[in-house]
Amino acid sequence: MEINQNEVQIDIGEVEEIRSPFKEFRRKFKKQKTSLIAAGFVLLLVILAIIGPSIVPYDVTAEDYNIILKAPSWQHLFGTDTFGRDIFSRVIAGSRISLFVGLTSVTFGAFFGSILGLISGYYGGIIDSIIMRVSDTLFAFPGIILAIGIIAILGPGLANVIIAVAVFSMPMFARIVRSNTLALKNSVYIEAAENIGASDMRILFKHLLPGSFSNIIVYYTMTIGNSILTASSLSFLGMGAQPPSPEWGAMLSGGRDYIGLSWHMTFFPGLAIFLTVLAFNMLGDGLRDALDPKLEG
Amino acid sequence: MLRYFIKRIVSIIPTIILVSVFVFLFVRFIPGDPARMLAGADATIEDVQMAKEALGLDKPAVVQYFDYMRGLLHGDMGMSLKTRNPVSYEIGLRYWYTVRLTLVSILWSVIAGLTMGIVSATNRGKWKDYAGMTLAVSGISVPAFWLGLMLIQLFAVKWRILPSTGGDELKSLILPSFTLGVGVAAVIARFTRSSVIEVLKEDYVRTARAKGLKENLIVWKHVFRNSMISVITVVGLQFGFLLGGSVVVESIFGYPGLGTLLIDSVSFRDYPMIQSLILIFSLNFIIINLIVDLLYAVVNPEIELG
Repeated sequence: MEINQNEVQIDIGEVEEIRSPFKEFRRKFKKQKTSLIAAGFVLLLVILAIIGPSIVPYDVTAEDYNIILKAPSWQHLFGTDTFGRDIFSRVIAGSRISLFVGLTSVTFGAFFGSILGLISGYYGGIIDSIIMRVSDTLFAFPGIILAIGIIAILGPGLANVIIAVAVFSMPMFARIVRSNTLALKNSVYIEAAENIGASDMRILFKHLLPGSFSNIIVYYTMTIGNSILTASSLSFLGMGAQPPSPEWGAMLSGGRDYIGLSWHMTFFPGLAIFLTVLAFNMLGDGLRDALDPKLEG
Repeated sequence: MLRYFIKRIVSIIPTIILVSVFVFLFVRFIPGDPARMLAGADATIEDVQMAKEALGLDKPAVVQYFDYMRGLLHGDMGMSLKTRNPVSYEIGLRYWYTVRLTLVSILWSVIAGLTMGIVSATNRGKWKDYAGMTLAVSGISVPAFWLGLMLIQLFAVKWRILPSTGGDELKSLILPSFTLGVGVAAVIARFTRSSVIEVLKEDYVRTARAKGLKENLIVWKHVFRNSMISVITVVGLQFGFLLGGSVVVESIFGYPGLGTLLIDSVSFRDYPMIQSLILIFSLNFIIINLIVDLLYAVVNPEIELG
């Protein structure tokens, strides 16, 4: 009997070592080396986006016709383009545009999508049906087609690309938050909040929304990569950033006619998009694995 | 089964109607007077009036919508502002090019994705798994337009073994369909891996192992079939990315499909054409997903039919 009691004691001792959700997340996330590297790369990108344009070796729009289409060298690491502009400087400066477009569009999409999802899940009924029908309809437009349609109406430009990509990412956030809200709205603490007369706003934003945070964060991170990809595709197609903007997709578009002559004009901006999207996707994978309890073991 | 099929087929009707309303409203969202926009910058008053009548803008919106739908049901999608040909004619010329491109792309990417996913899952934690999954995450991150241009640079410009532009010969499909399928293959590989890992944990797999069945046989007989069921739904959704991606890929390779037509129409502001193309793209997507769902019901004996 005594031995048994000791065993029980030890068990309780181990149970008490349970980590807080945040510590648990940190422990799991740190185990993934690739996600850590990706997080480091994203941090570097953010720093570049902030200070990059002011530390680049050459003016990003300065044209010099004596050095057009120069191959990469120590002077011009990524070579020069058809206007003699330094591609390295332009790629660095372009990080600000790509990150800005990616982050703002997904933030708008997440913000409005989450609100719609909350309302849809909490109130149910006809509002729910309308919101979900509309978001299903948005899903019926495949991939980039919806964004192209929006640009066709609003006209080309970076601001319109942000709107298009935001609309494009909204339905998924609405769906995620709605299903979380449906799962939470019958829990005791929501009932308690309703009974003490908490306002709807308070219940929605203070009590229900936090329940979706981990899903929102994971999906948010995973969507940034995709949004940067969509936005640069639109710029490549001439619907987004216009020359002489050092936007990566637009730079690629400018270099496509010189593909046989100067591969570096398309190679480096494309590589920048690739690595940026890769970093966000790997970071998103890492966050998902660390935040999803189903993947234990 | 038949009841489920009919129910599922009927269920897409509201979506199709909503999509058609969206597409119908599309032209009405254009800032300013659509008729004036359609007629062009140097249009006379008569031109504007003609454009107005062509669009039916002189009638109430509801009537306009029903006129539009009636036209669609008769295959009348209006006139292209650029070529002055019927939109349906222009689309008909290019439709099969896009269908061919997407079919070839989905075919190779499903085969490649399934293989990669199964190899990764059955070698979980080993180098094959890491290699496969690194390839897959790269595949979903690589911009198609960059990949396409790099492939052109290597295969068409440097080595001169494949054509850089699309045409009728089969050879010209290789680079575009590879470029288009990479992302889809990657998504399928990731999804297959995780669903195979799930299936490998099932009791019946343990039973099969306990019976002393060979691992290869277990994978092919039990695991492959069961994970296929969940993979099918992903393939349906991926068709959307293929249809959307075809726009970018066709544009790079100068491939004469609907995607190139859409890009040209956007730069020309050929609204009747843009409108119809968006409608065609989404109808295709809806119907493919319907087929996939029905297929899913056939393959999966567990699905609740009702």
